Amino acid sequence: MATHSTAIELSEPVPAEVAAGTELVLKLKLTCAAGCDLHSLPLTITGPDHEAGASCHINDNGEIAIKVLPRVGPQSFTISFGPHEAAGIRHEPCSLPLTVNAIPHGTSLAVWDIPSPIVKGERFAIKVGAKSAADAELKGLEIAIVDNSDTVAARGRLRETPWPGTTALYWDEVELPAPAEEGLSRWSVRFAPAGLALPHDGTAAEFTAAIVPPPQHRLTVKVIEQQSKAPIEDVQIRLGAFRGATGPSGLAEVMMPTGRYDLQIWKAGYEAPARPVDINADLAVEIEAVVLPEEDPDAAWTM
Amino acid sequence: MGTQDRKDKGGAPEALSRRSFLSKGAAAGVGAAALTGATTAEANAQIKWDHTADVVVIGAGVAGLAAAITVRDHGGSVIAVDENYDIGGRGMLSGGRLHLGGGNAMQQKHGIKDTADQVYADWVRFDAGSARYSDRDLVRVFADENVATYNFLVENGVEFIDRMIGPEAASTIPRTFVTVEWHVPSELIAPGRNRNGSGLVRRLEASARKKGAQIFLRHKMTKIIREQDNSRRVIGIAAMNGSNAVNIQAKKGIIIATGGHTGNVNFRRTFDPRLTEEYQQACEPWVHQGADGELAAMELGASLWATAAQTREAGAAITKTRHIGCRWGYSSLVYQPESPMFRLARATGLTVEDWQDVIFVNQNGKRFWNEVDGSYNFFAACMAWNGDKSKLNGGGPIWAIFDADGAAREKWNTKPPNVDPDGFFFSADTIAELAGKIKNPYQKQPISGAVLQETVARYNSFVTAGADADFKKPTPLHKIEKPPFYAAWSTPILHDTLTGLRTNTNAEVMDIRGEVIQGLYCAGESQGGFAQHGLARCLTFGRVAARHAASRTA
Repeated sequence: MATHSTAIELSEPVPAEVAAGTELVLKLKLTCAAGCDLHSLPLTITGPDHEAGASCHINDNGEIAIKVLPRVGPQSFTISFGPHEAAGIRHEPCSLPLTVNAIPHGTSLAVWDIPSPIVKGERFAIKVGAKSAADAELKGLEIAIVDNSDTVAARGRLRETPWPGTTALYWDEVELPAPAEEGLSRWSVRFAPAGLALPHDGTAAEFTAAIVPPPQHRLTVKVIEQQSKAPIEDVQIRLGAFRGATGPSGLAEVMMPTGRYDLQIWKAGYEAPARPVDINADLAVEIEAVVLPEEDPDAAWTM
Repeated sequence: MGTQDRKDKGGAPEALSRRSFLSKGAAAGVGAAALTGATTAEANAQIKWDHTADVVVIGAGVAGLAAAITVRDHGGSVIAVDENYDIGGRGMLSGGRLHLGGGNAMQQKHGIKDTADQVYADWVRFDAGSARYSDRDLVRVFADENVATYNFLVENGVEFIDRMIGPEAASTIPRTFVTVEWHVPSELIAPGRNRNGSGLVRRLEASARKKGAQIFLRHKMTKIIREQDNSRRVIGIAAMNGSNAVNIQAKKGIIIATGGHTGNVNFRRTFDPRLTEEYQQACEPWVHQGADGELAAMELGASLWATAAQTREAGAAITKTRHIGCRWGYSSLVYQPESPMFRLARATGLTVEDWQDVIFVNQNGKRFWNEVDGSYNFFAACMAWNGDKSKLNGGGPIWAIFDADGAAREKWNTKPPNVDPDGFFFSADTIAELAGKIKNPYQKQPISGAVLQETVARYNSFVTAGADADFKKPTPLHKIEKPPFYAAWSTPILHDTLTGLRTNTNAEVMDIRGEVIQGLYCAGESQGGFAQHGLARCLTFGRVAARHAASRTA
């Protein structure tokens, strides 16, 4: 009987890190020194706990899949072949040891519906969501909101079903107190999942909000078109952190604290310069906006 | 291709057998000479011509069709070849805006006084970027031919919307009017999108065929054949019709009307090395501006001309993608599902009405400019080097990032066929997750989730504060915070070819020593020297070239 030596070789390197509990696809080749085609013959995979080997075959793409255990850290596998005897040829056994570094699955966060500005000392609500890179169910897990003094300001517990339109963003609405100091405040949302079938990393995300004194005065802004004097609807009004939008009559009302502000407006197709306003009582201002010529994309002319 | 080739009434050649291919040679001249050991002249004498005409026009777009008709009007025979399966070139997808004045009948009807002298004076203005770099000899020709070109269009059945527009660009007098869109929906490439240029090219095609011009579609010119070594006389072209080689003799002249170079990455980088492969070309996949005519002529020693016009940083050479989330989102062109090009274009794109609703990030996941701006400063920022050591030129992809609220404000449906999820549009539950999903052939490395998250958080803090401290976006209005989140391809897209081959005032191509290459002409976007955007110069110089070519002695 003829004897041929064999070898198992990787066609591509093993990734440096693989998420724990996932299936790792390896591209490899089983070769015979005499050139026999061995790709249809079975291989054996022995896992890190040295359990009895699982049999597998190299597919048409030159791949096999191995199941990485759902725990973090190095995991050793051995892919073995043979011996195999058929048609008067003995193919000698061979093996390929490899180590996979299993890492936790990632998580990521979203924070939304953050009101701004927020009156100092008042309570406000935000929505927070967490997503597992493995699309794991995160319902019931705790999420914490930490203020800029590293104190937990609020906690939430992720709800049963994901946020609409997402695949697996589990969320909660959390109420927390605004600081007493005015200005731009920062918070950190922290998520440290525990008790999941697959290991996960924790994560954090920041959000900001403008903290302002209680508004005392009503600012009424009317926006009209310069030529026709017609009111313009849906114009965004901005005064620093304060905002509003005009209605059908071109009017917007914004409650403001005392102070000096830059009044800016925005609506696509219109233009008006910013102007300073001093708020120390109820105030009404009128802004004339110029219509910008409608852009015809075919008229790609400039001077 | 999904549509039938339009019938070539001139008669496309029969498919050639392999034996005849070998006997004729795919490209005569040097190649054949090498095979046989003969000189170029002897090799050229051995060429077996499959077709012969007085004038061969390379390209059946706006300039090419105008040229073909004009040759017939002057009693010559003409064959126009086009690599595409249908006529029209980029004119088919244009808005049909014609910039012709000089006191034509349309202007007169609307009480607009104009003269050729005024056209000339406007289009040599030093204070107009679109006029400053032109060859004034060519501008004079253009000016003098405005009325005649208008009349040519009327005589050949082109219809116009009865409205004058302008003044536009360098013109001080209204000179723009628009053709009526072609009335046969099945013969449109971008139905329902006001691509009125279809009315121009289809009418010209009909007239050309009626007058006996032959139009060979799916014929790609591969070489311009010249008579002998060091001679400047061109005598025909070699072309490929599928896998069949064809030689077409031109007894009087050859007119290059191949539509410019914008789609040829190597060629366009001659003028601007920043324009690497990630910048797509407007009007693809319908037509590709491959610099075929320029390259073929330059192989004969032809010169480029007025190259400053290409990089003048005004007009539509580089444009802001308006329809994001698809590969070709040029501002005035949307491929709808009904388009015969849709299976290649793959998505309509999401039309942006207000740039406040998105932020732009570069391939590193960082903002780099005020999103509302659409100036050449914006393009420069897009194309800036941002740290990729493997690719120093070009800036890589630009991605528009927005959230569920932004999509709602814009009334976007973020599903196919509006977006192309195969490399040009992505969605995710969180910003960090979104970063990991952005995979595209031009995105050389993954975007870090932490970086993109920080970018968005920083921008949101500007919205909170009411001012963009980084890039002065006016009144940053909307946070990007509500899931799901989206990334849409928004890389600048290239359009106008504004430089090309040097010609004299007869549109005869000139070489690098300033000599005419006998029998070779150029018109349209492949012609250098008059960088006016649009159709008028293509029509005008197509006529000028053809008139002169037809008058040559065979």
